[in-house]
Amino acid sequence: MAVLVDSRPAMKASIAQGKISEAEAARFLLRAQFSAPDADIAFVRARGFSAWLDEQYKIPRAQTGVDWLTEHHHDAITKDAHYFWPTAGDYMIWNQMLAQPGEMRLRAAYALSQFFVISLNPIDGFWPPYIMAAWWDLLVDGAFNNFRDLLERVTLNAGMGMYLNTKGNLKEDKASGREPDENYAREVMQLFTIGLRMLNPNGTEKKDANGRPIDTYSQDDIMNLAHVFTGYDHDFDRVKHINVDWQNYPVITHEFCVDPMKLDPSKHSNLAVNFCGASIPANTPGKDALKIALDTLFHHPNVGPFFGRQMIQRLVTSNPSPAYVARVAAAFDDNGQGVRGDLKAVWRAVLTDPEALAAHDPADRFAGKLREPVLRLTSWARTVGLHCASGEWQIHNLSRSDNSLGQSPLRSPSVFNFFRPGFVPAHTSIAEANLVAPEFQLQNETSTAGYINFLQWMVRWGYGDVKPTYDPMREFAHDPDRVVDWLNLHLAAGQLSPETTKLIATALASKMVTQESPDEHKLDLLASASLLVLSAPEYLVQK
Amino acid sequence: MSGPYLHQDISRRTLLARAGQLGFLGTAAPLAMNLASAAEAAALGADDYRALVCVFLYGGNDYGNTLVPYDTINYSRYARIRGGVAFQRKDLEKTALTPIRPQTLTDNLQYAFAPYCPRLKILFEGGKLAPLLNVGSLITPLTLAQYKSSNRALYPLPPKLFSHNDQQCTWQAMGSEGATVGWGGRLGDLALAGNDHALLTCISAAGNAVFVSGDKALQYQISPEGAIAVKAFREPEYGSPAISEALHQLITQQRHHAMENELSVLARRSIEMEGVVNGALADINLQTNFVPVPHENPLASQLKIVARLIGARKQLGVKRQVFFVSLDGFDHHSDLMAKHADLMAKLDEALASFYTATVEMGVQRQVTAFTASDFGRTLANNGDGSDHGWGGHHFIVGGAVHGGQYYGTAPHVSVDAEDQVGQGRLLPSTSIDQYAATLARWFGVPDGEMAAILPNIANFDRGPLGFV
Repeated sequence: MAVLVDSRPAMKASIAQGKISEAEAARFLLRAQFSAPDADIAFVRARGFSAWLDEQYKIPRAQTGVDWLTEHHHDAITKDAHYFWPTAGDYMIWNQMLAQPGEMRLRAAYALSQFFVISLNPIDGFWPPYIMAAWWDLLVDGAFNNFRDLLERVTLNAGMGMYLNTKGNLKEDKASGREPDENYAREVMQLFTIGLRMLNPNGTEKKDANGRPIDTYSQDDIMNLAHVFTGYDHDFDRVKHINVDWQNYPVITHEFCVDPMKLDPSKHSNLAVNFCGASIPANTPGKDALKIALDTLFHHPNVGPFFGRQMIQRLVTSNPSPAYVARVAAAFDDNGQGVRGDLKAVWRAVLTDPEALAAHDPADRFAGKLREPVLRLTSWARTVGLHCASGEWQIHNLSRSDNSLGQSPLRSPSVFNFFRPGFVPAHTSIAEANLVAPEFQLQNETSTAGYINFLQWMVRWGYGDVKPTYDPMREFAHDPDRVVDWLNLHLAAGQLSPETTKLIATALASKMVTQESPDEHKLDLLASASLLVLSAPEYLVQK
Repeated sequence: MSGPYLHQDISRRTLLARAGQLGFLGTAAPLAMNLASAAEAAALGADDYRALVCVFLYGGNDYGNTLVPYDTINYSRYARIRGGVAFQRKDLEKTALTPIRPQTLTDNLQYAFAPYCPRLKILFEGGKLAPLLNVGSLITPLTLAQYKSSNRALYPLPPKLFSHNDQQCTWQAMGSEGATVGWGGRLGDLALAGNDHALLTCISAAGNAVFVSGDKALQYQISPEGAIAVKAFREPEYGSPAISEALHQLITQQRHHAMENELSVLARRSIEMEGVVNGALADINLQTNFVPVPHENPLASQLKIVARLIGARKQLGVKRQVFFVSLDGFDHHSDLMAKHADLMAKLDEALASFYTATVEMGVQRQVTAFTASDFGRTLANNGDGSDHGWGGHHFIVGGAVHGGQYYGTAPHVSVDAEDQVGQGRLLPSTSIDQYAATLARWFGVPDGEMAAILPNIANFDRGPLGFV
């Protein structure tokens, strides 16, 4: 399912001349996006990593989640109260992950969705799918823009307002004892910008004179900052109220999901706010107070290393060296043209760092990261081709680990994401080496078996009317060696060892598929090949 | 309301799957069996069976609406402070609590359970449930003045107070995020040698939880349906025996790369224990109905598999077990009245069913369940919810529990008394270490071992709290 446009000049450039090997190009692409189509491999080999990034940055985003929902009539006001159902939220995001073009932008947005987290799980009320689509669209739109702009959009997003309670947050009321809600004030600092501890530019913790870590903020800072986020609610200006005969209150249309939350000055606290060294005088208008607060957080020296390290972990490796973090943080601090927070500069720094591009050293027992289940599925789907006959992409929540994938996009169990950046799997040599492996938080006896069982069905029969096509592989499905080599390059960047490819090819050969075999037998073989590669530890750890 | 799962048939077949049906699996090293002999930890010398079950309420349970001030004076204080998130007093009549023996609490407080907890009230009044009041994370005992003191060397605070992930970790492992050994796991370390299957000492039915990870004891994950078999080994479908064998070899082979190797270790454990566990569970069917009202209750599902595992204790050859179950969603910054009600009803149903199941199996005196949570919340309201706090109230349930009375010190119903740090965030009067030490002693841990499990216990009055 290559998504690049054939007419690009580089496509015509001769391949195999550059210093970048096929495997190196695939390795880069499998980090920068979900899959490594031949056209992209050729482009990277001919023009280099950075030129490929330049091209991606120019590609406008594809269809939005909101537009897709509407095109598929998920805005219909029906008697079965479809407007309260979350289900199409899953369809929307699977369509985006599995089928929309512009992979790199989507991959970046998916990484951002694990830093700025909201989850469909608790979203209720009218139009949960539109809430999630508007949220996803915001991340996709912002993926190549500036962190400061993204932070403000995140803060005012309707879904974030529901998830972390800025929506309906009221100013203090001494008479009734009511205090502002602290949820967003806390998490915007702990998770979305500066973290809990003062950091050096290389991401390591700063220490005070006594060798102790230094907190970035106190409970008092949170209670102060909470006042800034009072007075907001969903913006119903564009919403239409539709009277229906099956319930005694009107159905509202979904524009409030898309529009940023609106400030009601009468509900906004006018108290002076002092937090993290910043002062917002009493009676500062809400909009100005928000600007001061977000500017303060954005300019905090922690943001570069805090955000940068997690993006390295999402895209490249669980345990980057401090020097690597420092280089990415420096790119966050200044994109080379004096601009702070340029996300394009961050992705470039993460993906083209010498540490990322250095050849994998087989002696390094801790290189890389565990691929998370969503990326395994997405990468496979985009590599072998997936077709949805109805175009509805009715793939549900795949979170269950006992009988499903064990993870589903935009379905994090909490604002702390599916896994923590500091997660250490106990009783492992990873723990002994004082290293982390975040994705292992999802890996256990249940999910190990549940994932393989999910695959066994998925890689052969698909999910509902979403089916694998195996179009790129059908013509050589009778050739087990070629099948395995092809999957090795496109799914694992050539990281399956000769022993492993031989093991798989030998097992496939026992199926005795020939060029004349019926399609069903060829598909059996291609599915078996997928099952084996996607289960192999050498594939599961992306190095 | 998600749609039908793709593989509803898998769980059904998993339940039918039994141990030892595939020849080539028999060649795998009996990894779990070896752990017991490798364990050098002191055995607890147990000749009976005991199980501790941690019921973790993720998100920070709202103590103010869990045990609610009910006497008229304290109720009126509560109602004034809570504003829009206060119960009506009349709604508390049916769950008002009368201790078995008269007890005088702070300010003559009387409590009622949240109205959605009728079964917990019955357990309390039957002496099977004990509330522990205002327990939370502490390194040393603290007064308000000491809390406010700048002398952190003398009056250290638990790190990263009020932060979800870190305080979850503090409750489970006495350290902030990144800790790899929990106190339930340390209890497991001591029990390893007494269990035939060391791997079945510390079990989570709720995904990864540091609570059940010990120095030596591993945490074993179980699903509500039991252990999950790799279906392709038994039903190759479009595959073939050769594909199944290649799959088995691929996912279990030793690897040089550490992360790859850990995946293989997990796969071997998963495969080996599936046969053992599902084999033992096959004959364990409980009469107790864990979901009397048909609806989804993940906590009840988890406690049901825990009860079935306890039922299989003889087949599995285990003497001491530590379990972890959880319920998500307690971070009620908003919509507290509706959402907390739903969760308290699930907790009520799940805990009471679990106790009933232990009675059905005749092990009620050998099984103790207890609650834990990130932190308590503010008593002050933010309009329709409450914010992160510190101390909170917890429950211990079981046949060995000296229930029907309160333990710990009841906090004033206030936002400015000396026993809280502002907005009704309780300064804990009892530490997690004391709570844990009392449970650990019941589990069989000698006093001499206690400091190794709970490093700060020496800072507190070492007497057990007496609830079990």
